[in-house]
Amino acid sequence: MKRTILKENNLKELLTNDVNYFAIDSSLKEVDIPSNSSINLLITKPHQELTINVKENASLFLSLLVKENIDGGKLNINVSENAKVEVYFADFSFGKETYIFNGQLLGRDSSLNWHLASLTADNDQKQFDISVKHLANSTFAKMDNYGVCKDDGKLVFSGISHVINGASSSKTHQNAKIMVFDEKSIGIAKPILKIDENDVEASHAAVVGKINDEHLFYLTSRGLSESAAKELITLGYLKPILNGFMEEEIKEEIMSLIERRM
Amino acid sequence: MATLIIKDLHAEVEGKEILKGVNLTVNEGETIALLGPNGHGKSTLLNVIMGHPKYKVTQGSVTYDGVDILSKTTDERAKMGLFLAMQNPSEVPGVINSDFLRAAVNARNEKPISTYNFYKLLDKATKDVKMPFDLATRSLNEGFSGGEKKRNEILQMVMLNPHIAMLDEIDSGLDVDAIQIVADVIKQEQEKGMGFFVISHYARLYDLIHPSRAIVMINGKVVIDGDPSTIKRIDQEGYEFIKTELGIEIAKEEANMNTVSIGTCAVKEIIK
Ligand SMILES: Nc1ncnc2c1ncn2[C@@H]1O[C@H](COP(=O)(O)OP(=O)(O)OP(=O)(O)O)[C@@H](O)[C@H]1O
Ligand SMILES: [Mg+2]
Repeated sequence: MKRTILKENNLKELLTNDVNYFAIDSSLKEVDIPSNSSINLLITKPHQELTINVKENASLFLSLLVKENIDGGKLNINVSENAKVEVYFADFSFGKETYIFNGQLLGRDSSLNWHLASLTADNDQKQFDISVKHLANSTFAKMDNYGVCKDDGKLVFSGISHVINGASSSKTHQNAKIMVFDEKSIGIAKPILKIDENDVEASHAAVVGKINDEHLFYLTSRGLSESAAKELITLGYLKPILNGFMEEEIKEEIMSLIERRM
Repeated sequence: MATLIIKDLHAEVEGKEILKGVNLTVNEGETIALLGPNGHGKSTLLNVIMGHPKYKVTQGSVTYDGVDILSKTTDERAKMGLFLAMQNPSEVPGVINSDFLRAAVNARNEKPISTYNFYKLLDKATKDVKMPFDLATRSLNEGFSGGEKKRNEILQMVMLNPHIAMLDEIDSGLDVDAIQIVADVIKQEQEKGMGFFVISHYARLYDLIHPSRAIVMINGKVVIDGDPSTIKRIDQEGYEFIKTELGIEIAKEEANMNTVSIGTCAVKEIIK
């Protein structure tokens, strides 16, 4: 797959049938996804504040990889009528940071699927404030936040799903899971549902805990050392994020990031 | 000779004593049948031998090949040649079956196995157990049917080639054809010298694999250690004769005994 660098907010001009995969330059502040288009966007550099406007009937597949020491970032995605957005965020950054995501479902029948996998280790302190606001009818949002927390790391997921009065027939789901490796690491998941409308389907689930002893016993009973077993289980936990990246080299890069930071 | 010797073994789970002085020897290359009513400690015994962290050994010893294995970690026991096919194999989401198998094979090798040799081994093993190859590429046991999970246990056994394979109700959930397949694999491994310690409630599997001894566990103790004709008798009459002939009261199942003992209790703090 050939990628084109996007330096300005001029997707409309660059877009052809063959050119629909773009990597964003980190200086960009705003990107408009033209209506009726189908775009793949890749971000592999830290960004400050970025706003993406997904126009009517467009579909956006966003792959986000962060691997440096950053102090935070902010992403806003505004989704218009009948537009579909899929976000995969692989977070292997380190340091002390707060990352903010604001999704707004502005038009009816718009949808947003958010997947985050975060590895927090070596005294990292990370906070993710992930919120989605349903502002129109028949909107759909699903957030999956997965994290692994080890070596005195601290990881906080706070997720807010807000359905305003009038955004009827909307569905909103949140799912947070944090695997805590050792006694000193801290994982916190705070899913919040703010529902101001009756005709809504909403759910949230949060699990924070250590590796299942049965799983560990099963793997070690086949000869894997405890650390190898833990690594395999963790890998299995973070690996689904690879589905969000189209280039083999980037998949491999993510795998080696996981292995290195484990 | 790599013999497994269990002496006066006592073990408890959550403060409750389950094994109450087990004495037993499993010789290399021997096939032993282990029977007993539900909840009398059969699975507990195998899990203790393998080193499950849930069980606490309070007394007695287990040696294998002259080595005290109770002080060894579970993976060390596996690498010494012990294998346990679980009564309820865990589903481990995200861990790909073949990645896991490869890691397990490599744990025993000085040098990592080549991709080519690994797939050759896997291909042969899946054919032996007549398991669709695609199960090997899926998440470990996740969404497998009951019978598929059991076949996957046998697949692992074939690939890891232990000295003593302990099979905990490997026949439960298997259809008639699958029992035959598993029995064929067992016979093939018996010929190569693998020993078996097999828990089953039914004579069908035993009829196919011809154990040389039958062990019966009641109330956390071995009460019969003798010739395999006992299997037929239990199959036909149940365990009543143990009470009438040996004078041993069989403790009745408590209300909670129906719940399968390994790994079914949902603990909120644990990620499934
Ligand atoms: N975590 C636990 N807490 C309390 N009791 C337990 C626990 N795990 C097992 N037990 C109990 O230990 C006893 C022995 O269980 P075990 O699984 O060894 O029986 P079994 O002989 O294998 O039975 P079955 O034929 O039904 O498989 C049972 O009474 C069971 O309820
Ligand atoms: Mg049992």
